[in-house]
Amino acid sequence: MSEEVVLRMGVPVLNEDGHEVGTLEKLVFSETERKITELVVRDLASLKRIMISQVRSIFPHSITLARHGTLETLPVFDPTEFEEVPTWFFPPGYQIEIGSLVTLKPADIREMGEDAACSRREFMARTTAVVAGLIGISLVVPIGGYVLAAAKTKISDHWVPLSVSINQLPMDSPVSHTFRAVSVSGWMRVPVERTVWLIRHSSPEDPMSLPADEKLGLDSELEKQFSTPLLTVLSPICPHLGCSPQWIDDRKRFICPCHHSIYELNGNRVSGPAPRPMDSLPVKVGKDGDISILYEQFAIGIPKKVRLA
Amino acid sequence: MKQKGESKLLKYLDERIRLRSLMSFLLDEPIPGGARWAYVFGSMVLFTLILQFLTGIMLAFYYGGTPDHAWDSVNYIDHLSFGGMGVGRLIRGLHYWGASMMVILVGVHLLQVFLWGAYKKPREIMWLVGVVLLALTMTAAFTGYLLPWDERAYWGTIVGTNMIGLVPIVGPILKSAIRGGVGLGALTLSHFFTIHTMVLPSMFILFVVFHLVIFRRIGPAGPYKGDPLALEARKEFFYPRQVLMDAMGMLAIFLVIAGLSLLRPPGLESVANPSNSSYSPTPAWYFDWIFQLLKMIRPEILGVVGLPALIGIVLVLLPFVDKRPERSPFRRPVAVLVTMVVLGAMMTLSVQAERGFKKLVSLEPRSVARGKLVFRQSGCIGCHTVNGQGGHIGPDLSEEGLVGHSEHWLVVQFVQSAAHFPHSPMPSFSYLKPDQLHDLAQYVSSLGRTGWPDPTK
Ligand code: HEC
Repeated sequence: MSEEVVLRMGVPVLNEDGHEVGTLEKLVFSETERKITELVVRDLASLKRIMISQVRSIFPHSITLARHGTLETLPVFDPTEFEEVPTWFFPPGYQIEIGSLVTLKPADIREMGEDAACSRREFMARTTAVVAGLIGISLVVPIGGYVLAAAKTKISDHWVPLSVSINQLPMDSPVSHTFRAVSVSGWMRVPVERTVWLIRHSSPEDPMSLPADEKLGLDSELEKQFSTPLLTVLSPICPHLGCSPQWIDDRKRFICPCHHSIYELNGNRVSGPAPRPMDSLPVKVGKDGDISILYEQFAIGIPKKVRLA
Repeated sequence: MKQKGESKLLKYLDERIRLRSLMSFLLDEPIPGGARWAYVFGSMVLFTLILQFLTGIMLAFYYGGTPDHAWDSVNYIDHLSFGGMGVGRLIRGLHYWGASMMVILVGVHLLQVFLWGAYKKPREIMWLVGVVLLALTMTAAFTGYLLPWDERAYWGTIVGTNMIGLVPIVGPILKSAIRGGVGLGALTLSHFFTIHTMVLPSMFILFVVFHLVIFRRIGPAGPYKGDPLALEARKEFFYPRQVLMDAMGMLAIFLVIAGLSLLRPPGLESVANPSNSSYSPTPAWYFDWIFQLLKMIRPEILGVVGLPALIGIVLVLLPFVDKRPERSPFRRPVAVLVTMVVLGAMMTLSVQAERGFKKLVSLEPRSVARGKLVFRQSGCIGCHTVNGQGGHIGPDLSEEGLVGHSEHWLVVQFVQSAAHFPHSPMPSFSYLKPDQLHDLAQYVSSLGRTGWPDPTK
């Protein structure tokens, strides 16, 4: 057939007597022969295959077969035997306008038999997956590490020398001391101002010279190691919700203005909602009375003293 | 393509998103003449692009795009480690070497399309889109160069943007627009950062999609020889053989990039110093040949404007001028010959350029560490400043490693300064042993190039 014909799904298919026996559903295209070899026609019951040799004439509006009667005796079209390909499958220059109608068998199945083709495909698919997996894993691992690296960076401990000597402090009365420090934020070093409570103790026998959290065994090794009965350093942050307790000299108590947690001189909680005593910080006192401290921050709202990394 | 043992998930997805026909659209692309290793380059370029996207996003996680933080943040990335693995430097290395590899692969891809005559009708538009992608790649390389904000980045960009300024009429305004002012500064960096991380990636996505859509509509060009019927008979689908070959190609290029990142991680010179007038900037290697050519062409303007314009015009017009359907390189001797000449010229020029650059002394970390001790013990710091500390009788040595003195020159300087500077007040350190002089020279050569403090500690 040299003339160009446009076929669409649903074109009526007539028998030799001119009776409609069904409608066009698909075309079967053989890749090796490079031509359409069969029509698939929908009759009342199912899809039937008709060899192209049984077709007498093809027009855009009807197809006439070279046979009488219905299609009942023809073989049934089994879609699993074929592969559906859309229009773009055909290289440029093909003059068959086929809509989504063409059906054909895959090339390698045709050549090698189904089993061989399947196992070969399977093998290649597996190898591809392994290669992709290799690349994927060797990327995901460093990227994961990279994302977590900053989170896991240990904060190094900086002892900060305070500009005050222990001899300048009053006995048994907290002093709020503000000092300058650097806070490290990623690649940035930000100067910050920080405040701590300094409490000089008159005598090591005084029970108030032992911070309450140390007495309760909440302290870490570091905090236990750098603790002295001469001086207690308390964090200004209320362990309840992070407000700042104030020293009320009349009552000799720290009172947190937010939720009224009340603490003694050594940080011991007397009343209020706070889950633990005020947090004591590591401190070193030199021979000539100079003080250096290690500023730490702890998780709030929990009974344990957990240092924030 | 029905198979027996289909998983439930596949069925579920097929019912809802018509997965099977989607996969078949993606994978069952017919390749005339069958799968070939020669077809892997396009996929390799795509792979490096995706790698650049991934690693670039990672770098942006920790990067600070302002002059007072950019260098620090890159140094920070260089020191990031996880479980003893230098992940930061690795990611930066992947991005750095990925860029180089992408430039190479884009070049190879272009060359292949040219030699195979695959740009001819009906693939002219696809070729044009490819030319745009080439331009995007080069722009990405150029804008990325500035981001570490070290000496090399700063001075390289000064030269690069000055070249733009030479373009007649629009040049000066273009240059100031790109720089965000007269000089190179905070706005230049944020402009470059935005172009590099927002403008270019979105354009890349757009044009890659274009490229691929056209490709799928028009199909692969296939081999340049062989009769259509024979090619048709050997036709294969993209999946599985070509997919496997492409995957192998990607693995190969990934191994090369990863290997280079581990063995030769990118360096970081000292932070950009606009007052360092002695710095002699060098371009990234893929711009070497232009750099060398510009030295030869006079007037300059001809090279700066003429050369890129010429390249652009040739590439754009090529498919419209060369309309003969003949694709085989063996029957297009002129085209092949011209390509060979151009390639040869580019390589010669690059080699010449590299030779012209001052070679920096290659460093051995141990020797550098020993040299640092010698430097301290010999009292050099009394006269010389290093990173802000020391005396002012001699010149500041903080960036001495970037000057490009040879090791021999330095050793002579240590034992007999007068050989370089008549009436030099610098004492002779001839009592140092040859080993120590070597170490000292290594340390002095490392100044301004390595040994930055670890900000994560
Ligand atoms: C007495 C001071 C003095 C001392 C000590 C000294 N230098 Fe110098 N150095 C100078 C001066 C001054 C110059 C500049 C050249 C001149 O005018 O002689 C110089 C130049 C140099 C240069 C060349 C800089 C250049 O690129 O032009 C180097 C390198 C150098 N010194 C390294 C050292 C080292 C290493 C030491 C220690 C072993 C050292 N110097 C000790 C005074 C000193």
